[in-house]
Amino acid sequence: MAQRSAVISRPQRWDTPFDPDMAEADVDRVLSIEPFSQIDPERFPTALPLHKLILNDCRIVRARPGDIIVREGDYGSSLFFIMAGTVRVAIDSMPARMLGRREPARKGLLRTIAQLWTNHRTTEYRDVQGYVAHGSGAAQRGEGEQARIFLQDVPTVLDEHRTATISEGSFFGELAALARIPRTATVFAETDCELLEMRWQGFRDIRRRSEAIRDHVDQLYRERSLKSQLLATDMFRDLSEAELDEVADQITFETFGEFDWYGSFKRLPAQDPARRLAHEPIIAEQGHYPDGLILIRAGFARVSCKYGDGERTISYLGRGQSYGFEELAEAFQRDRAVPFKRTIRALGYVDILRVPTVIVEKYILSRRSSKVPSKTERSPHDADRRWDQSPARIETGMLEFLVENRFINGASTMLIDLNRCTGCDDCVRACAEAHDGNPRFIRHGKQFDHYLVANACMHCADPVCMIGCPTGAIHRDLQGGEVVINDLTCIGCATCANSCPYHNIRMVEIRDETGDFVLDEHSQTPILKATKCDLSVDQPGDPPCQRACPHDALVRLDMMDTRAVERFLNR
Amino acid sequence: MMTFARRRLRNLTLALIGGMLIIAGDWIARGALMQTAYISGWAMLVLMFLLAAYNVRKKLSVIPLFSSSAWLQVHVYAGVVSVVVFVVHIGYVMPNGGLEILLGALYVGVAASGLVGLVLTRTLPPRINSRGENVIFERIGPIRRQLRERAEMLALESVNAGNVTAISQLYQDRLVRFFAGPQNLWSHLGQSTRQRQALLDEIDALRRYVKESDRESLTQIAELVCLKDDLDYRYACQCALKGWLFVHIPLTYGLLMVMVVHVVVVYAFSGGAR
Repeated sequence: MAQRSAVISRPQRWDTPFDPDMAEADVDRVLSIEPFSQIDPERFPTALPLHKLILNDCRIVRARPGDIIVREGDYGSSLFFIMAGTVRVAIDSMPARMLGRREPARKGLLRTIAQLWTNHRTTEYRDVQGYVAHGSGAAQRGEGEQARIFLQDVPTVLDEHRTATISEGSFFGELAALARIPRTATVFAETDCELLEMRWQGFRDIRRRSEAIRDHVDQLYRERSLKSQLLATDMFRDLSEAELDEVADQITFETFGEFDWYGSFKRLPAQDPARRLAHEPIIAEQGHYPDGLILIRAGFARVSCKYGDGERTISYLGRGQSYGFEELAEAFQRDRAVPFKRTIRALGYVDILRVPTVIVEKYILSRRSSKVPSKTERSPHDADRRWDQSPARIETGMLEFLVENRFINGASTMLIDLNRCTGCDDCVRACAEAHDGNPRFIRHGKQFDHYLVANACMHCADPVCMIGCPTGAIHRDLQGGEVVINDLTCIGCATCANSCPYHNIRMVEIRDETGDFVLDEHSQTPILKATKCDLSVDQPGDPPCQRACPHDALVRLDMMDTRAVERFLNR
Repeated sequence: MMTFARRRLRNLTLALIGGMLIIAGDWIARGALMQTAYISGWAMLVLMFLLAAYNVRKKLSVIPLFSSSAWLQVHVYAGVVSVVVFVVHIGYVMPNGGLEILLGALYVGVAASGLVGLVLTRTLPPRINSRGENVIFERIGPIRRQLRERAEMLALESVNAGNVTAISQLYQDRLVRFFAGPQNLWSHLGQSTRQRQALLDEIDALRRYVKESDRESLTQIAELVCLKDDLDYRYACQCALKGWLFVHIPLTYGLLMVMVVHVVVVYAFSGGAR
């Protein structure tokens, strides 16, 4: 007898508001406060009214003195506006214990073993009742996020750590929310506070249509990110507050390339290498004289040098890395100008900070020139890489392959050495076991020489898949920063799958326990969900795929750790 | 990350030292008129179950019981040590008696198949890669079908062009079978390219009998032959990579069962000799 397919409503953007308790009166109150009161509601389309955005993408959070609101290192997809009270931002890193950090919630041993017989035989099985409960608002979403930890002794914390006050009417958390990077500082409540927390998807829509908000936040973004960025670098971390202020004043911001680089990237393979290179804006050119040190604030840059009639890639740079120090140091020591030895180009979108030469000479070279090792003194095994600009020993062809295909974006790229891989598929089986019988990667992909970059989510440093997700279902895991998808809030719009430049997100048609497709009650078409590798964050130990490989063929590598890549390629 | 050469040297050294210590211990114990067969027998039993445990570990891949590659290293070098223990256990002479001969034969079968498997897993993957881009085993069939259809299309086009006796005859006589399924598997495993070259020579020889316009078809057919041959090469190698386990694992189960019987028989008929 034929089973009747389960039928549910197709999930929509605001099926799950950020806070189901957000009331109309709260929205009116928010819209009466500056700068929200300056927003012109007429500039919003009827399908996306300002009122609805505030209602569904915002929530009011109340914090007591000492409550930690955001923690340094966490990934967040929301920003905060202080409606009442003051908060403190910790300029120094606070101890992990004080921040209440704990091990990620992983399955216990018994639950892990139980997967061997509890996994479903049906492909892409989902518990339909879970969606129904979630859609009706009966699910407990947000309850866990609202649980707070607090600092027990705020005065001592204020004594021991450098902090700054942020008061009523200000935003914070905008850097992490907009730049898709980890929180740069811990923020805690100094007094009783009332905060408006905004999902970045909603904020993005408001920012796009309100110049006042855009200018206000962009200014904050520049000021605050700069100082924390400088403090995070080895070069400037020892500077005093006054010196840091002077450096910050002198630094210039520059942006190269397109923010939505992944759109044009998909068209690049059709072009020849020379034309592809022409699309990469030059940040610093070989033979030109440097006017300062270049710090990469966001994005990636190709480092190349002239070779024949073309350019040969030497290495690549990512967020937090710098270029030009070797030339500036040499010029300082020899007292004559030294040109750039390499060209650096923006791969997609790059934000840089240019630190003027005089500042580098005044605060770095004049103080530390004796500590700068000469080129011959630098060893590939030198533990202190503070000044090491020497490229990793990666064969040029492989470097070109990694850079051209933007695999350098991966924080956990799956690399397979085909000279070791026997095709046993133990990795695929292990992945399937960890995901209810559904493997989340394909042992196939682009290949160079005997290395394969498999179609597995790379958990990118710049996860463009997260741009455009209307519900925030695809997000960074708060503990490890892995890019994961919340199946309950995924509406199957495929925005993430279409954005992923590497084709590593797959849309699947979900089934109920009888094996039938789960259908949308209106269109009677199957409900889709986005799926991808989540590095098995809920499983104990390393990713099962890597652990299951008997021949050391498969590894997950952070491509910014070029030394690790080098070691893997030269085993 | 340790280099493979360094790891191999370390593990081999440890295994050799272990093996030498076992031989020396056995020699000393025999000198002291001790019954070493019981000790080496139990050591063998433990080693065999340790070696077999690797297959269980592979089935429990989600449980963090060290990496599979670490287990494989232990499996390989414990296997090396087991050869020494086996030789010591049988007293450096051929076993006699039906059960012992069966047990000995099973052990040799397991060890030999393991060694063959190790050699295959280390030598075949680079050879497969020397023949172009990686192809997943399950996709070989569909790709083969596509190649066959393209070759068939070229042959049919030549018939339409009126050149029945040359290209279509070649296809009918030589290529239908070639494209129908995997061919020359043993030759591929032996790294022979004789059949491929013979076929290409035959296609080349045909050039003088076809019109200028059909020579392009022959070139395309020759390319398809090369692609199909590369695919067969992959198929042969991947079959070998999977196939040796069908010998190694059943023999292991047989060995474990006969070992248990052997232990029972030894203790049942020891007559207090231990």
